Amino acid sequence: MTTTTAISVSGLGKSFGATRALDGLDLEVASGEVHGFLGPNGSGKSTTIRVLLGLLRPDEGRTELLGGDPWRDAVALHRRLAYVPGDVTLWPTISGGETIDLIGALRGGLDPRRRAELLERFDLDPRKKARTYSKGNRQKVALVAALASDAELFILDEPTSGLDPLMEAVFQECIRELRADGRTVLLSSHILAEAEALCDRVSIIRLGRTVQSGTLAELRHLTRMSMVVETERPADALADLPGVHDLRHDDGRVRFDVDTDALDDVLRHLAGLGVRGLTSTPPTLEELFLRHYGDELAADGVPAGQGAGRS
Amino acid sequence: MSTGSSTLAGTGALFRFALRRDRLRLPVWIAAGTFMVVTQSISSQALYETSADLAAYRASVGSNAATIALAGPPVGLDTVAGAVAFEISATVMLIAALMAMFTVARHTRADEEAGRTELLRSARVGRHAPLLAAVLLAALACGALALAIGAATTATGLPAPGSFALGAAVGACGLVFTGITAVAVQATGHTRGVYGLVGGLFAVAFVLRAIGDIEGNWVVWTSPIGWAQATHPFTDDAVVPLLLCLAVAAALVVAGFALLDRRDLGSGLLQPRPGRPAARRTLLSPLGLAVRLHRGALIAWTVGLGLLGVVYGALAESVETLIGENEEALALFGDPDVDQLVDAYLGTTFAVTALLASAYAVSAVLRARGEESEDRAEVLLATATSRSAWLGSHVLVALLGSALAMAVAGVTTGLVRAAQTGEAAALGRMVGAAVSYVPAVWVVAGVAVALFGLLPRVAAAAAWSAVGLFLLITLFAESFDWPGWVSDLSPISWVPTLPLEEWTLAPLAGLVVAAAVLLAAGLTGFRQRDIALG
Repeated sequence: MTTTTAISVSGLGKSFGATRALDGLDLEVASGEVHGFLGPNGSGKSTTIRVLLGLLRPDEGRTELLGGDPWRDAVALHRRLAYVPGDVTLWPTISGGETIDLIGALRGGLDPRRRAELLERFDLDPRKKARTYSKGNRQKVALVAALASDAELFILDEPTSGLDPLMEAVFQECIRELRADGRTVLLSSHILAEAEALCDRVSIIRLGRTVQSGTLAELRHLTRMSMVVETERPADALADLPGVHDLRHDDGRVRFDVDTDALDDVLRHLAGLGVRGLTSTPPTLEELFLRHYGDELAADGVPAGQGAGRS
Repeated sequence: MSTGSSTLAGTGALFRFALRRDRLRLPVWIAAGTFMVVTQSISSQALYETSADLAAYRASVGSNAATIALAGPPVGLDTVAGAVAFEISATVMLIAALMAMFTVARHTRADEEAGRTELLRSARVGRHAPLLAAVLLAALACGALALAIGAATTATGLPAPGSFALGAAVGACGLVFTGITAVAVQATGHTRGVYGLVGGLFAVAFVLRAIGDIEGNWVVWTSPIGWAQATHPFTDDAVVPLLLCLAVAAALVVAGFALLDRRDLGSGLLQPRPGRPAARRTLLSPLGLAVRLHRGALIAWTVGLGLLGVVYGALAESVETLIGENEEALALFGDPDVDQLVDAYLGTTFAVTALLASAYAVSAVLRARGEESEDRAEVLLATATSRSAWLGSHVLVALLGSALAMAVAGVTTGLVRAAQTGEAAALGRMVGAAVSYVPAVWVVAGVAVALFGLLPRVAAAAAWSAVGLFLLITLFAESFDWPGWVSDLSPISWVPTLPLEEWTLAPLAGLVVAAAVLLAAGLTGFRQRDIALG
């Protein structure tokens, strides 16, 4: 790799009429990493990707992709990247196999062995006309076309939204192979389990702005561990410790969340109570996510405590 | 209306629902069909005021194969009413057949394809109910069209029995195509396939009756359109052909139900042909894809304009006899050379052909807009395909395709004309006249490209409005004596009306330059703008 940064975006802004789709978005993707690009529908993920692909012209900000300008150098850069759109629409009378070959050829060539292998793994019949494919199968066509190419950078916009769990597993395997091979992947998703399973680093965006960016470990540090303990003596005093939240009794056990930096104090306190059982769950990306979007959920009438978005 | 276990359960509810969904659509079809008969009746009554007019009409039309091929059996031409039925019945029968086809397919295969039938069938709706409801709705529409034509034509002053016989013949033709569609929706799994199948059968039926009518033989009885026209409204008012239509329609509907039992929901009896597992080399470029996407429409337009060229060429002989043997008409035109009159007529027909070729070119350019708004452009523009190459491939097909269609129309007219006159030179003259319009057609295409590049969201509406304006100018500017600057708005009117006028380079060169400027503006605009999201 000649560049160490595959994608570098700062202060990106884009408006459509009165709608501000991107509002000073930042994004850094290092070469060779799988980067999760997380946010709910309408938060600006697809708009960012379209700017990165040179399909949209940014209003403001700096955008660099593989060392070039995505708008000015679009054609040259596209030889080095592969793209899977979120909602794949194909030509109804052209077969899946033809579509894969067409997209591959226009990008600069496909590896026929890899193409055959991927068709097998994704269990896709290339002879069917696109009109007869389900959403999942259309997505597989775009995935095979992208994965069979020799690109440096893969930009995948919610690529698994139509896939069943079996195919999702195949997809995850393919992404791990890409990473082992030193390729860079930008994976936009709102499926958090997928991002947790695959991504080295994630960026969480909301209303066209990046709200959090870092490795999963770094981000977890910002949030809370969930614990369930069973003690000989009552653990009520835990509630008064700093960093302990949402303490509740549950069938002789105590459940609570604890800030990562208060963990040490809480464990010392517990040791004096005679611990009989203890389970701890690291914070999931989902909790992290809900913390950033918790106020939106509350505004939509989802009661607090239903998700992990406690405040 | 039916018991829960019946395969017809829920037909009543579905019928009322279908009626509600089509409460605007069907009245428009019926009004359109009725309006055509009424206009024909009024204009024919005005045109053939005297029996001498009618005799002249009968003499020219009754022996002209081209007119008979397009209209129907030359029966009853000694009355104005008979002439009305002769001229309009084929067109209205096409309307009835299309109305029946769209109605049945919309409420059966289209719903099934979209998954709506599955939802309905999960409720208490029997297997046969959707088809029966659709057939009943189409039959109701055909009946209403028949009555509307009968009543409205009587109101224009034609005899009531014949008027209602004409209506009944049109309705009967619609019923046969209701039956044909009821079978076709079982055969193919896709609504577009149904339209192709039924449209193709209509074309075959039309050709068979044309052959039968020209030859005056039994072949006409192989065609349902032939049966319906055999009613001979205002002459025989025959009932037997109508009964034949009804019997065949009923048999086809029964066959449709039987076939429905032999297939699964969502599938057709004909398995879709599998495509290629891998692409041929010819597909693997932006132009290769564009050719593939445009191929069907280009062939259809070229064949259509070629056939139109045959018809126009064939009618040239009628123009010759009609005007050449009519002292009054000759006097009216200032005693011109009859050959010149024919040339003037052919020049006008090429202007109309050029408008149709422009319509093709605009539709081909707007295909790029469709690809963009349906998100298929995005996948390609994310590859190493430049915007110029992508748009250029669609534009190239539009330009060369419209030129090809014009040339083919010139060749077919020229061949027919050469056969009529025995002069081989006619071919070259006709091709030259037709091809002279190509720069004007390209200007219209250029307007569409410029709109696509600069104002993508309004491109379709604006480009079609331009075509509509040019159509009005070509049809009416001369007859209504519109000011010159209005005519000059249309590129079609810049072209010298060959073969009558002299060929001159200046206007054609100007048109080519205008087209190039418009294309460049569109391409530049497209390279600067966002790819629209819909």
